[in-house]
Amino acid sequence: MSRRMTVLLIALELALWPQAEAADLFAMIPEPSAVEQNTQADPLAIVVNRSNPVDELSLSELRKVFLGSRSHWPNGRRITIVMRDPGEPERKAILRDVCGMTEDQLKTHFLRGLFTGEILVSPKVLSSPIGVRKFIFNVPGAIGYLRVRDVDDTIKVLRIDGLLPDDKHYQLHIQSQVAME
Amino acid sequence: MSSQLKSAFDHRPRSLVPNLDRFLIATSRHNASLLIFLVCCAVASIGAVVIRDMENTNAKTLEMYAASVRGLQNIGELQYEAQETRRSTLYALTTSDSNLQVEYADQSRNADQRVTNGIAEYTKQTREVEESALAKRLAMDWENYLSVRDEVLASILEGSIKEAVSYDLSGGVPAFERVRLDLNEVKRLYGEDASKSQARLAASSRRSTWRLAGIQGFTLLLSGAAIWAIQRSRMLNTIQLAKLQMEFVASVSHELRTPLAVLNSAADNIADGLIEGKSTLKRYGAILQHQSRSMSHLVDEILLFASTEDGSQKYVLRPLQLTSIIDSIVKATEGIIRDSGFVLELKVEPNLPLALGDESGISKCLQNLISNAIKYGGEYRRIALHAFQADVMQNSSREVCVSIADRGIGIDSSDLEHIFDPFYRSPRVSAAQIHGTGLGLSLAKRIAESMGGRISVLSEVSVGSTFTLHLQVAKGDDKKAATSSFRSSLSQKL
Repeated sequence: MSRRMTVLLIALELALWPQAEAADLFAMIPEPSAVEQNTQADPLAIVVNRSNPVDELSLSELRKVFLGSRSHWPNGRRITIVMRDPGEPERKAILRDVCGMTEDQLKTHFLRGLFTGEILVSPKVLSSPIGVRKFIFNVPGAIGYLRVRDVDDTIKVLRIDGLLPDDKHYQLHIQSQVAME
Repeated sequence: MSSQLKSAFDHRPRSLVPNLDRFLIATSRHNASLLIFLVCCAVASIGAVVIRDMENTNAKTLEMYAASVRGLQNIGELQYEAQETRRSTLYALTTSDSNLQVEYADQSRNADQRVTNGIAEYTKQTREVEESALAKRLAMDWENYLSVRDEVLASILEGSIKEAVSYDLSGGVPAFERVRLDLNEVKRLYGEDASKSQARLAASSRRSTWRLAGIQGFTLLLSGAAIWAIQRSRMLNTIQLAKLQMEFVASVSHELRTPLAVLNSAADNIADGLIEGKSTLKRYGAILQHQSRSMSHLVDEILLFASTEDGSQKYVLRPLQLTSIIDSIVKATEGIIRDSGFVLELKVEPNLPLALGDESGISKCLQNLISNAIKYGGEYRRIALHAFQADVMQNSSREVCVSIADRGIGIDSSDLEHIFDPFYRSPRVSAAQIHGTGLGLSLAKRIAESMGGRISVLSEVSVGSTFTLHLQVAKGDDKKAATSSFRSSLSQKL
């Protein structure tokens, strides 16, 4: 039993090691000074396949979905989470506003969930908003996030706590950095 | 004298026959030209029909070829795009990279859209029931395959490879096989359609060949008929010419025989010494003189006709005062009118304009008409000569007319169109033993036309006939010429 646990711990370490290294790499990139930057809120839309019967989720339900705690939609379809590459502003916004985790914490969470069998499928990672959109279009149980400008009518935007991205008190925003003279 | 007459008689037919020949040949040529023109028209119209038919066949061939090529091309494209749809889906199985999987899914969807469009186009083009049913089946099978494909793609993208393979094997493979069979069926139908078109084309080509053969036969038939008609027309003309010649010879012989008999008889009496006394001799002389003049007149008329026929007779047209010409004609014909027991009623409108013509021509023309009136004047024995001016309806100008009317036997309406033909003698006139050569009216008409005028006729059987000579009114230039001509002739006389 102890041998089996040791192997699993080694595997966990190996899985976390590249992310940690990536996090270190991000840490090496110098942050722009506060004088040079200003932040601008850009709403982040939560999108699903058009055949999905769900139109609205609460923020807590969304958190369960993105953390893999909820595995199926009410129609029985398996939930497939679509994420952007680590470091992308959209992903950061989801980590911050929905998951309430850092990148490492999320990785650890999923590794643990997969290992224990609580989570069935790990999130799919796509490198472009178009890829995200097409993935969601093709997979009936997929859920992802996109900037509002990347949304089109091939996918459906969910209301979060009854609000759409353009509504006033919508909670999910990307903190974009705008260069100032 | 007898030999001279004989030679003159022999000479006449020789000089007239070629003229008659020319006239009749001209008529035959006219008929032949008309017939050939009709044949050409018929051949051209039928040729146009054949050309149109051949053009239609050619257009159909091109259309069929283009449709076959386009159809096969479309089928080929459909087959390729269907394979591409499936191929791209299966490519997605080969990778675990979600980005690549999405790309393959996208390729598969693009290809399936092209197939769907192609099937819709094919459905629109279908005309027959079998084709429509097949198009419907193909669209349905393709839709079924796409629904399986969507599930397969979704499973692949979700990462459930096992599930995707299972879906594909259980649903995708048979669904795609059905689509493949449908496309093969579409290809077979295209082939059958092309074969039918080819058969139709062959039938159309055969029809064209038959039509062409028919047209050739018809053309040959028509040409044969035309040649026969031309030959027939010529033969009839020749027969008519011969008949006219015979009638002319008989008529002239008859006209000559009477004075010749009188001349012979008078000459015999003188030769036999039966004539005694100066007064008797004088009477015989007068008879001989009258008969010889009569013969001379007949010969002159024939010669004049011959000269008008070959165009050697030319008239010098000048403005003439018809009153004086009519006076001279009245004087010239006074004797014959009186001897025949006729009365001439003369009516000349005052202030008649100058007429354009030739004095001798007008005289000859009017004398012929008066002779005719005497010959056919019947029992009433009255001839009316009326000179007047009238309007020409065709060009609103004026003309000078001289009409000669009798109240004689009249002319049958069937004869009216022939009375100006040379040597024409109405059967009714021949039966009534009224002698003549059939040249008088023909001669009068030719003379009138030579002077730029014409002769018209109004007649009714047993009521009488009115012949009118129409002459042009002399214009200003003609009058000046006339004045200068008159002065020059006057100066010559002086």
